[in-house]
Amino acid sequence: MDDEIVVMRLDNGSFFSLAGTAAAIWRLIDGSRDRAALLSALAAQYEEDPRRLADDVDALLTQLQDARLLERD
Amino acid sequence: MESETRVAYGPVPRGLFDPALDELSWQLLGDRFLLRGEGQHFFHYRKGEGITIERGPGADASEEALWLNGSVYSAIASLNGLLPVHASAVAIGGRVFAFTGPAGAGKSTLTAALGARELPMFCDDTLVLDLAEPRSITCLPGHKRLKLREDALEMTGARREEKVSCTVDKFFALPAAGDVGEPLPLGELIFLEEGSETSIAPILGAARFAKVHEPNSATWLFTETQSGTRAERFAHLGRLAQQIPMARFMRPIARDRFGEGVTLMTEYLRQKLAE
Repeated sequence: MDDEIVVMRLDNGSFFSLAGTAAAIWRLIDGSRDRAALLSALAAQYEEDPRRLADDVDALLTQLQDARLLERD
Repeated sequence: MESETRVAYGPVPRGLFDPALDELSWQLLGDRFLLRGEGQHFFHYRKGEGITIERGPGADASEEALWLNGSVYSAIASLNGLLPVHASAVAIGGRVFAFTGPAGAGKSTLTAALGARELPMFCDDTLVLDLAEPRSITCLPGHKRLKLREDALEMTGARREEKVSCTVDKFFALPAAGDVGEPLPLGELIFLEEGSETSIAPILGAARFAKVHEPNSATWLFTETQSGTRAERFAHLGRLAQQIPMARFMRPIARDRFGEGVTLMTEYLRQKLAE
């Protein structure tokens, strides 16, 4: 929605919005990428060194887990 | 809607299920809606059969039209797949621009004031949206007369008619530029909010979803009538958020700044003609 993503938890109806880099990361989460692959894809997208994106990616992944929008192996 | 809103008088059940209705409450069951006003005043709608009204002891006949045009109409719209929104609206360039907000936000007053700027009224108090066509939203013409408080009549120059009822401190009024009686596409839904300065700005992104998710005194009935999973309801809200253009109209409530806001809105709507 206007470059933002709205995600809803079906178990309790709460919803979240993701914009900018968070939306880009969400779009890359497809069940096939691990953290390294996700960082690599994001770095290619933003033409950036993956090491410079790692902190932001890790922070978002933690938030998504805490919000129970994401499960990690 | 015309056939669904035909009225007959007769006995009405005291409840669609237990317990029976208290005053000023309602029940919904399948394609039926039952509302109790004050005293023994009941309104029973059954899809395909119209409305039956029972006026018993304590019923206030002067309130009947308000119930019919308010909650009963919204329930009927909802049960027939139409979305009622608590809004007043004008029409310009073949599109509807609707103003929504809580009670007292100034929806009717703004609509009346825009009438004085040659913008015809499309509806007052309730805007009904037809969602049948997946790629567009059509507005159905209003069924209610314009209602204004005394101070709003003075501010807008609208022509006063009779008082709405003994209990409602408003008057029916004639919109200066007349009204529109044909369905039209929705141009924009504009949220009226109080601010220190006057401005109009689009609502973008996830904020649009938040807006359609907000409880609205009319849309709650629509939500109650819709079955479906949580995912289906989410998809429905997503559709509304994507398809309904939205803007926020911030303005001071002070009476001496009312004209400034009306001027800005008039210019804004006229610019929409070019889009």
